[in-house]
Amino acid sequence: MCQSSRPLTSAPSVIGQSAPRADALTKVTGEERYATDYYPENHLWAGIKRAAYPHARITSIDISQAKGMVGVVAVLTSKDVQGSNRLGIFEKDQPILADGIVRHYGEAVALVTAETKEILKQALAAIVVEYEPLAAVFDPQAAMSKESVILHPGRADGNVLLSDEISCGRGVEALADCEFTAEVSIEVNWQDHAFLETEAGVAWLEADGTIAMIASTQTPFRDRLELAEALKIPPTKFRVMAPYLGGAFGGKDGITVQGFLALAALHAGGRAVKMWYEREEHFLAGTKRHPAIMKYKLGCDQQGMLQALDCSILMDTGAYSAMGGEVLELAMEHAGGPYCIPNTRIKGAVVYTNNPIASAFRGFGVPQVAAGIEQAVDELAKTAGFDLLQFRLKNAVRRGSVTPTGVLLTQTVGLSECLKKVADHRLWRERELWQNSAPAFKRRGVGLAACYHAVGFGPVIPDYANAKLELAADGHIRVFAGVSDMGQGNAATYMQIVGHILFQGYDNMEIVLPDTACTLPSCSSSASRTTFTYGNAITGAADILKERILARALLLFSFQLLEQLNVQDLVLLPGRIVHQPSGREVPLQLIAGFMDESERIATYSYTCPVNKQVLPTGKKLRHHGYPHRVFSYAVQLVRLQVDTLTGEIEVCDLLNCIEAGSVLNPQVFEQQIQGGAAQGIGYALFEDFALKEGKIRTNDFSTYILPTAMDIPNMETVVVPLAEDDGPYGMKGAGEISIDGILSAIANGVAAIIGTRITQGTLTGEKILLALRQAGKEAVR
Amino acid sequence: MRVKFMLNGKQTIVDAPADRRVVDLLREDFGLIGVKECCGAGECGACTILVNGTSRLSCLMLAAQLEGVEVTTIEGVAPEGSFAIVQQAFIDCGAVQCGFCTPGMVLAVLDLLQRNPQPSSEEIREGLSGNLCRCTGYQKIVEAVQVAAALLKGRRA
Amino acid sequence: MEVLFPRTLEELKELFVTYPDGRIIAGGTDLLVQLRKHGNKPSALFSVEHLEQLQHVEEKETEIFIGAGVTHQQLWELPIIKNYFPVLHDAVAVLGSPPIRHSGTLGGNLCTASPAGDTLPPLYVLGAKIAISGKTGKRCVPIAEFIQGPGCTMLEQGEFVTGIQIPLPAPQAFSAYYKVGKRKALAIAIASLAVMLEVNPDETVKNIKLAWGSVGPTVMVLPEVEAFLKGKVLSDEILSQAGKMASLGVKPIDDIRASAEYRQCLTANLLLRICRD
Ligand SMILES: Cc1cc2nc3c(=O)[nH]c(=O)nc-3n(C[C@H](O)[C@H](O)[C@H](O)COP(=O)(O)OP(=O)(O)OC[C@H]3O[C@@H](n4cnc5c(N)ncnc54)[C@H](O)[C@@H]3O)c2cc1C
Ligand code: FES
Ligand code: FES
Repeated sequence: MCQSSRPLTSAPSVIGQSAPRADALTKVTGEERYATDYYPENHLWAGIKRAAYPHARITSIDISQAKGMVGVVAVLTSKDVQGSNRLGIFEKDQPILADGIVRHYGEAVALVTAETKEILKQALAAIVVEYEPLAAVFDPQAAMSKESVILHPGRADGNVLLSDEISCGRGVEALADCEFTAEVSIEVNWQDHAFLETEAGVAWLEADGTIAMIASTQTPFRDRLELAEALKIPPTKFRVMAPYLGGAFGGKDGITVQGFLALAALHAGGRAVKMWYEREEHFLAGTKRHPAIMKYKLGCDQQGMLQALDCSILMDTGAYSAMGGEVLELAMEHAGGPYCIPNTRIKGAVVYTNNPIASAFRGFGVPQVAAGIEQAVDELAKTAGFDLLQFRLKNAVRRGSVTPTGVLLTQTVGLSECLKKVADHRLWRERELWQNSAPAFKRRGVGLAACYHAVGFGPVIPDYANAKLELAADGHIRVFAGVSDMGQGNAATYMQIVGHILFQGYDNMEIVLPDTACTLPSCSSSASRTTFTYGNAITGAADILKERILARALLLFSFQLLEQLNVQDLVLLPGRIVHQPSGREVPLQLIAGFMDESERIATYSYTCPVNKQVLPTGKKLRHHGYPHRVFSYAVQLVRLQVDTLTGEIEVCDLLNCIEAGSVLNPQVFEQQIQGGAAQGIGYALFEDFALKEGKIRTNDFSTYILPTAMDIPNMETVVVPLAEDDGPYGMKGAGEISIDGILSAIANGVAAIIGTRITQGTLTGEKILLALRQAGKEAVR
Repeated sequence: MRVKFMLNGKQTIVDAPADRRVVDLLREDFGLIGVKECCGAGECGACTILVNGTSRLSCLMLAAQLEGVEVTTIEGVAPEGSFAIVQQAFIDCGAVQCGFCTPGMVLAVLDLLQRNPQPSSEEIREGLSGNLCRCTGYQKIVEAVQVAAALLKGRRA
Repeated sequence: MEVLFPRTLEELKELFVTYPDGRIIAGGTDLLVQLRKHGNKPSALFSVEHLEQLQHVEEKETEIFIGAGVTHQQLWELPIIKNYFPVLHDAVAVLGSPPIRHSGTLGGNLCTASPAGDTLPPLYVLGAKIAISGKTGKRCVPIAEFIQGPGCTMLEQGEFVTGIQIPLPAPQAFSAYYKVGKRKALAIAIASLAVMLEVNPDETVKNIKLAWGSVGPTVMVLPEVEAFLKGKVLSDEILSQAGKMASLGVKPIDDIRASAEYRQCLTANLLLRICRD
């Protein structure tokens, strides 16, 4: 637990030290302005008319009544879009406003701007859209069949967005030689990001024709490119600003409201427009985590060494591709878990359906496959008679190992250390005591999972960052963050790195949040790479600036002391520089005065090294990221208690043992670990997302159940801090690894308690009670 | 209609439709953007304000209901006293991530500590159960409340 | 929508005449959520916040009167509720969340008449009576009559609830409320059970009242189960038998929160908690 109380300070930042975040103060006083908090003068409200069918041809849109209403400024449809009207990263398949066909419930059909929210609502209701319903497909397996209706005609593979196969060694044949085998079939559910700040932004047209916007986005720079093409306006004619985000987790990785905002601003007569989804609209329009159907067959030899894996993964990406291909890639690359399995075949496909759109969500396909492989590993270890932890340890990848997808691990690998720490931990050692201490009508058990998570974008898409740093004229250090801070605290970490190198505290530093007009292009806030990549870039920039400051100071001191000085004798201190031998000091402000602007600004460009392996299979996955180079590792353990009368389940203890390189700021690191694990608990037990024929039934917070403070246990985080050469100060990404193993650990714990597995969807009390009943354990005292 | 009430310590008179939601009134008319909206339906606590010292949800209140009451938003909590301690504890303990739940959470904590100055960790979790947080997993928030409670106790002693 | 603040019962009655489609708003935690969803706004809301007569709690010799406008938080804090009506105390403790309990009222919970309303099963087993007032005068009816169906009460246009009368239970009576929701707080009941139990010195059941929430169109009361248990010594075995009867007697539905089948299981199993406690 943390102690002491002191003002948010100015002590110089140090890498490795637990320090409060620079952004915490303005957030706790309520002063911080999020995208939702901008109300430009005289602004309009923009809103969307959404489709009432999961798949239909639009036969007519009658906007006349809405257009005629007092207080309505514009009613726009796809006809008003000048460009391609297509958004997307790899596959540009999603219209800003539907042109002809709608492919999911709630797809945007028309855009209205109005003076007030009330008029906006009335105008939206007054738009009459006529549809000719089309056959629709909601089941990903059905979507693959020849008979299925096709969502995007003209594609070579029908509804299949991407499919491929990875195989290593002798492939599936080796299963026949295994002494023991285990099979599991697992279906995991959708998950909604449910960030608290729903999609929002404001936009306006500047005098020079630039469309400026402040939006809650993880991807300000990429958004410009997407918008440029869809609206046929040069990217430089957009200015995107990303203030702190009120949560995102992947759900703001790409365009949400930005397309509407830009279009609305173009038709607002110079007035600003504001858009802010209500919670229900967020559910309807926002992306989700991909559900997956997985089949696993895993085999080992007599000694318990894993020998063969055959698995298939089918993901549903909904109506549009979004990041479907990349999510499938990451899922497939991690499908075999962090184990040495010489012979494998991993088949994967991601398909279009008329369901909501699935895309990036913390974990990015890995929590799904972890649920497959980790349950298969538990089953196999039990069948073969091995201890669940020792079995994992025996087969764990090490540095220099090759993963089940053929990836050679050249960088740090801390899985064995994590497993050993957990093996020695009280929660594991005392597992039998726990099991045997259940009160009346309760059952207790322990569940375990091991996982890994790739950092970055893989070999093809450059994972780059351009850092910029300024010694301001007044002696302040200005840190330009080119990557959004969606709540994970990367902005504060950039300051910490700069403060560490330049020996400054927060009080002498200031952060400039992403703004395409003044921060430099960098990739998105995603893929466990945000701090990893930008951290490297900002380190480079800080080194350059330091050198320049010292060089200038050296001249100054030389004049003052009238002798030849050595740069080694100078030390940067908060706000000043000291010449140690003489004890003389000059303030940074003075130095700044002697520097030209071009010298006061240091920039540094960094691109992550990649894995150069040329792998024989999975060719189509390559530009989606296969193979990766750096991975973080985790072992997660849960202690569970199930009520045999009601099936209610409680996570009583949770242990996260994490190897994600060195830790720059333990407090921020723990925040990531605890937050991810809590989302994992939600995913496993509470967030029982439900669809009916493409329509979301859990479309508000009374039906989509997020865990409250009473549903999440105290967690313990144990760190294995291996130093990673690629990462700044030895770090690796820690943003996603903590969500990866929770569902699998809980599922394994539940199986240990009940004796059978619940293989479909969220592990609700209802399913648990039913399983208890089938196992003859219902209402057992 | 004219509504007269105390807003963050100041006597305030505002002309607003009687059925205007208090969250809209505070954010749009008074610029108090520390009052967040996240669900509009009572489920998340982001819009929490204190009404006569008690935590209430401004998305489920109408302007007319403010007549004669004292409203405190995060902007109006006295920058010294227990707020300063709770606030500092949130910062020190790392209870703030994206921060969107934070203003509502802090006000819920003030209400809780006023009712129960020495809450157990279960009581803290219970007391904050109307405020969802998607980022932190709550643990550091619970720690912050424990730290603040201990400091406040020290003060009273 | 106008929002008006009657100070007396008379004023409130008048308002119903002036605005025939007007509706009472107490804490607003149901009403405003409903209006957001369905939008058919009445011309006026009558806030009972300042209506003194609805805010008070009165302890009489054999009963207690709770004003309809008393909030769940106030109720929870009252020593008399904690000491004499643990079943009600338990129920308001798990209703919604702290801010919901600060606003929401007993009258509002009652008049919403949701089968999942947490105070309803306790009021059934406590034998509560509802005090109604309106232009035609006053009446007082047992809760089972007052609640007529999901979202449906016997209130007629212009009528309202002034309060709830509950007889004081026998001093040694045991009472409890068991709720199953989808999480530990902010959870609408999937199934719930209120129990009021008196046992004889020989441990046989002298008197038992049971009421289930969320397993039928309204709160479910099953006299045959109560009759079965009367005179018996409670054990897991006996309660399981009672549970079997009960699960046949209730009329649950499938909804977004749970299946009818699950609710049936819970109907039976929650009875076993009595013995545990
Ligand atoms: C997030 C959230 C969680 C919730 N959780 C729960 C829960 O766990 N359990 C539960 O039972 N409920 C829950 N509720 C529902 C609600 O909070 C309760 O039913 C509460 O008791 C309603 O009281 P109120 O004073 O707010 O009612 P209001 O919303 O003010 O009124 C509800 C209805 O009753 C009428 N009414 C009110 N008072 C009177 C009166 N004196 N005479 C005649 N009619 C009257 C109103 O006209 C209206 O139709 C929840 C609601 C929310 C928003
Ligand atoms: S916005 Fe008011 S409770 Fe969610
Ligand atoms: S800090 Fe983001 S929701 Fe709580």
